[in-house]
Amino acid sequence: MGLFNYNIEKYSPKQLVILPLVILAVSVILLALNMATTGMPVTPGIDFSGGTAVTIFSTDTKEQLQSTFAGYPLDDISEGVNDGYFLKFGAMDDTEFRSLSALIYQKFPDARVDQIGETFGKTLQSQAVLALIFSFIGMSIVVFLSFRTFVPSGAVVLSAFADIVMTAAVMNIVGIPLSLGTLAALLMLIGYSVDSDILLTNRVLKRQGKLNDKLAGAFHTGIIMTSTTFAAITAMFIVAWFGSVLILIEIAAVLLIGLVFDVMNTWLTNVGILKWYVLKGGGK
Amino acid sequence: MNKKELKALLTDWRVATLIILVVLSVIAINPHFDEQGNLTTNLQYGLDLQQGAWIQLEFQAEVVGFTTDRPLEEFLTDLSRNLDVEVVQVDSNHLEIRKYYSQADLEQVFIAAGGKITSYQPGVSKTTAEDVKRILENKINTLGTKDAKVNTLTGLNNVARYIRVELAGVDMKQAQEIVGKQGKFEIRIQTTGNQTEHVLSGETITSVQVPSQEPPGSDKWGVSFTLSDSGATAFRAAAIKYGATADPANHNLIMLLDNTTVYSAPLSEDLAGKLQSEDIRQLFASTGTGKYGSQQATNLEIHLRAGALPVDVTIAGSGGVTAPLGERYKMTAILAGICALIAVGFVIYYRYREPVIVLPMVLINASEIVILLGFISLVNFQMDLPTIAGLIAVLGTGIDQLVIITDEILHEGKVPSPNLYLKRLSRALGIIVVAAATVVIAMLPLVLMDLQALRGFAIITILGVLVGVLITRPAYGRIIMQILSK
Repeated sequence: MGLFNYNIEKYSPKQLVILPLVILAVSVILLALNMATTGMPVTPGIDFSGGTAVTIFSTDTKEQLQSTFAGYPLDDISEGVNDGYFLKFGAMDDTEFRSLSALIYQKFPDARVDQIGETFGKTLQSQAVLALIFSFIGMSIVVFLSFRTFVPSGAVVLSAFADIVMTAAVMNIVGIPLSLGTLAALLMLIGYSVDSDILLTNRVLKRQGKLNDKLAGAFHTGIIMTSTTFAAITAMFIVAWFGSVLILIEIAAVLLIGLVFDVMNTWLTNVGILKWYVLKGGGK
Repeated sequence: MNKKELKALLTDWRVATLIILVVLSVIAINPHFDEQGNLTTNLQYGLDLQQGAWIQLEFQAEVVGFTTDRPLEEFLTDLSRNLDVEVVQVDSNHLEIRKYYSQADLEQVFIAAGGKITSYQPGVSKTTAEDVKRILENKINTLGTKDAKVNTLTGLNNVARYIRVELAGVDMKQAQEIVGKQGKFEIRIQTTGNQTEHVLSGETITSVQVPSQEPPGSDKWGVSFTLSDSGATAFRAAAIKYGATADPANHNLIMLLDNTTVYSAPLSEDLAGKLQSEDIRQLFASTGTGKYGSQQATNLEIHLRAGALPVDVTIAGSGGVTAPLGERYKMTAILAGICALIAVGFVIYYRYREPVIVLPMVLINASEIVILLGFISLVNFQMDLPTIAGLIAVLGTGIDQLVIITDEILHEGKVPSPNLYLKRLSRALGIIVVAAATVVIAMLPLVLMDLQALRGFAIITILGVLVGVLITRPAYGRIIMQILSK
C-alpha cells in the first residue's frame, strides 16, 4: 500500500502522543466554552431543542424564500444541491405551525416537515446524554475484560474518548447540530474507533515478533480497514448530498470526521501509549 | 478448484448455512412484479420513505405520589372536587390527575385536602396510556385510514408522557385533522335556562350500534348505544336530580364532542317515565328524518365510537413526507447502499489486487445485507432512513472484519498449513468478537431507551454484527482458505 508511508518506529512515544493530546485539550476547551454559552457541549438541533425542520425543493433564491417565510420565525436556510433547501424555524404555537405547514404544502408540494415540541426535545436531550454515557461505559467494560491489563485497555478507551470529543468539537466548528442522526453516528463511532485499536493491541500483545514489525503489520491492516469504511461512508455522503437527504448527510459527515480522528488517535495516541508500555517491559 | 473441492466447500456447514440463509432471505424479501409491472418487494417502509405523517401528542395530566392521614375515599373525593377533575388511583401511593397542573398548584390543593405530594411526573399511568392507544386506534379505523400505528412512549417509572401516531398514505394536514381533534365526548343535561350540568363522559359508553330507524322501517333515524352500569346509575340520578324525568321538554340532553354540541334533544316521554323507576343502559339518540337524519346518525355514531380520550392531549410534534419526496429518499438510499458497496470493492481491489480475494469479500459483504433485509421483511420491520444508515454502517464494519481475517491468515505473505491456518483464523475471530461486542454494547442503550427513530438503527446495527460474527465471517474463513490453498 503506497498511499501512506508512515514509520512508527522513527518516533518516540512522547513524540507520538503530543499532537493528539494538544488537539484533545483544545477540543475539551471548545466544548466547555460551548457548554458555558449554550448549556450543552454540542449545539442541539431541533430534535433536542424543539423547532421545525423543513426540506423543500425550489428554484427560488435564498432571498425569495426569506421573503416567502417572512411572517414566521425562520432561523436558518441552508442550500443543498438540485434546488434543495433546508430550513429551520424556531418555536411556534399550534395555529402558527398549521398556517406555516399549509403555506409550505401549497407552495412546495413535495416538502418534508418535521416539528418537535420544546418539552419533548428536552426529554430526549437527557436520554441522549445518558445513552452516550452508557455506551461509553459499556464499551470500556468490554475492552477491560478482553485485555485485562490496565495500560493497554486504558489506551483504547482514551483513544475512543478522544475520537468522540474531537468529533464533537469539529461538529460545533462546522455547524453540524446534535440530532438523533448525529447522536447515532457518534455512538457508531465508539464501535468503529475501537475496531482498529483492538486489532493493534491484539497484534502487539498477543503475537510473537519484533515490536516495530508488529506495529507496521497492524498499521498495514488497520489503515485499509479505515479506508474501506471511509470509502463506504464517503459514497453515502455524496449520494445523500445529491439526493438532499439531510439525516444521511449529517450521519455521514460525523462518521467521516470521526474516522479521520480515529486514524490519528489509533496510530498516534494508542500506538504511543502502547509503545511506551512495551518498551517499559509490560506485555511480556 | 475442481468439482470435488467445490462440493466439499459447499457442503461445509459454515458455507452451507450462509447459502441457505441467503436463499431464505431472498424468498422473504420476495422481489416480484406487481400488477402494474413494477418491481416490488415485501420490505415495508417507514414514514420517511413513503407518503405519510406522524403526530406526537403530549398528555395533559400527571402522576403524583402522595401520602395522607385521612381515609382514602374521602381524600380522593375532596381532591377531585377541589381540582374539578377526575382523579384516578394508580397504586396504593400514586394518583393520576387527569388535567395539567403545575407541581406548586397541586401541592397547595393536596395540603388543603389533608395530604402531601411526594413525587410529580407529567404523564399518565401505563394503563391509561394503553386505553388512549386503543381509543385512538379505533377512531382512526372508523375514519377508514389504513396503515396506522399508535405507540405510547413509556418512560421510566411506567409513566407515559407522549403518544405517537403514524399514518401512512395521508398528508400532514389530514393527519392533524384526524388526530388533532381529541374526541372528548360528554353528555350534559340542561338544568335551568341555558345552564347545563355534566352527566357522563365518553368512557361510560360501552357499545354503539350502527344507525337504525326507530320504529323500524320508518324514516326516523338515530343511533342506539349502551352505557356501563355505573354510567346508567349516574345518568338516572342526574335526570331525576335536574328534573328531566318530570319535565323532559325543558331539560334537553346534550352531547358534546370537543365542547361542540353534536346532539341536543329532550328525553322521550317513554324513556323519562322508565327512568323514574329503574336504571336504563340501552339508550337511543334520534337524529331526525330522511337523508339528513341518516347522515347525522352516521356522524353521531362516529363521535360516540370515537369515544373520549380520558385525558386531554396537545400536539407535541408532527411531521410528514409527501409521496414524491418519499420516493426520492428511497431511491437515494438504495443508490447510497450500492455506491457504498462499489466503493468498498474498489478499495479492497486496490489493496489486494487479486480478484479471487476481492470477489468473495464483496459477495460476503453483500450477502450480509441480503440476510439483514430478509430478516427485516420477515418481522415486518419498517425500514426508515436511520435503518438504511445502519445497513451502510454494517457494510463498513463488515468489510473491516473480513480484512482482519484475510490479513491475519496471509501473515508474512505465506499461505499457511491447515493447522496454522486454523490457529490464525481463530485469532482473527478473537479480535472480531471483541470488536463486535463493543459495537453491540455501544448500541444497546439506544435499543432500551425510547429515542424513537434510533431504535431501528441500533437494532439493525446489532443484528448486522451478530449475523457477521455468527454466520458470514466463519463462512468467509472457510472460503478464503480454499482459495488461498490454490
